[in-house]
Amino acid sequence: MVHALDEIRRVLKPDGILMDIRPLSGQWQIEVTSTPGFKETGRVDDFPEPLKADKASNEAMQEVEERGWFTREQEEFFPFFYSWDTPSEMEEFIAEDWSDFIGLSEDAKKVTRSAWAIADADSRVRVRVKVLIARWKKATDAGPT
Amino acid sequence: MTLQKDPEGNERKYLRKFADFTGKRILEVGCGEGRMTWQYAKGTLGTVGIDPDKDALRIATVDRPSDLGNKVCFACADSQYLPFSKETFDIAVLAWSL
Repeated sequence: MVHALDEIRRVLKPDGILMDIRPLSGQWQIEVTSTPGFKETGRVDDFPEPLKADKASNEAMQEVEERGWFTREQEEFFPFFYSWDTPSEMEEFIAEDWSDFIGLSEDAKKVTRSAWAIADADSRVRVRVKVLIARWKKATDAGPT
Repeated sequence: MTLQKDPEGNERKYLRKFADFTGKRILEVGCGEGRMTWQYAKGTLGTVGIDPDKDALRIATVDRPSDLGNKVCFACADSQYLPFSKETFDIAVLAWSL
């Protein structure tokens, strides 16, 4: 990971910018949305591996900062929604595409289905993924690239 | 299935809040099928998306909007060994890939 960041540093111009955008684990919220707003119906269950991956990524960025390769200029978090028409579509997607890193409890499924069933006809189901966006500037005095 | 990803366009808003891509040379690491690429590439001087997944890159190439044909290209590459000369890009984007 640090080697890849060194490669990026090499191909960036002096004063070049590195944008680090990535989802962070953390029991993403499940919500039923309708015209008036949304209702939280549960949280996904995090598996250990993505949490380790987040930690490794953060440590890599910390290391390149300590080495003086990049300087952190700005950092925020924003919600990135995955939205489906029905709870069953959400469950199917999570089982097929996200089964390596999150799970859904039976309780979360049940509460979500119930909330969706009594909501407006245009209601949907969504997962609120927490995304990090950070802007780093390439340092110019950290040795040869 | 009726999956919508980021229907509120938050990623696009934050990308533009954090960097001015206009007239810049961009390297996107982990571009996949190009979902993020299309959000900023239009005003750039040129964008190169790399990913080790050839199937994803094939989709990105097919999905590339016609007006980006001369601005965006894709390459199968590993971020550990970037096939570019030093000091080529103004901005590097780690697209959900660190």
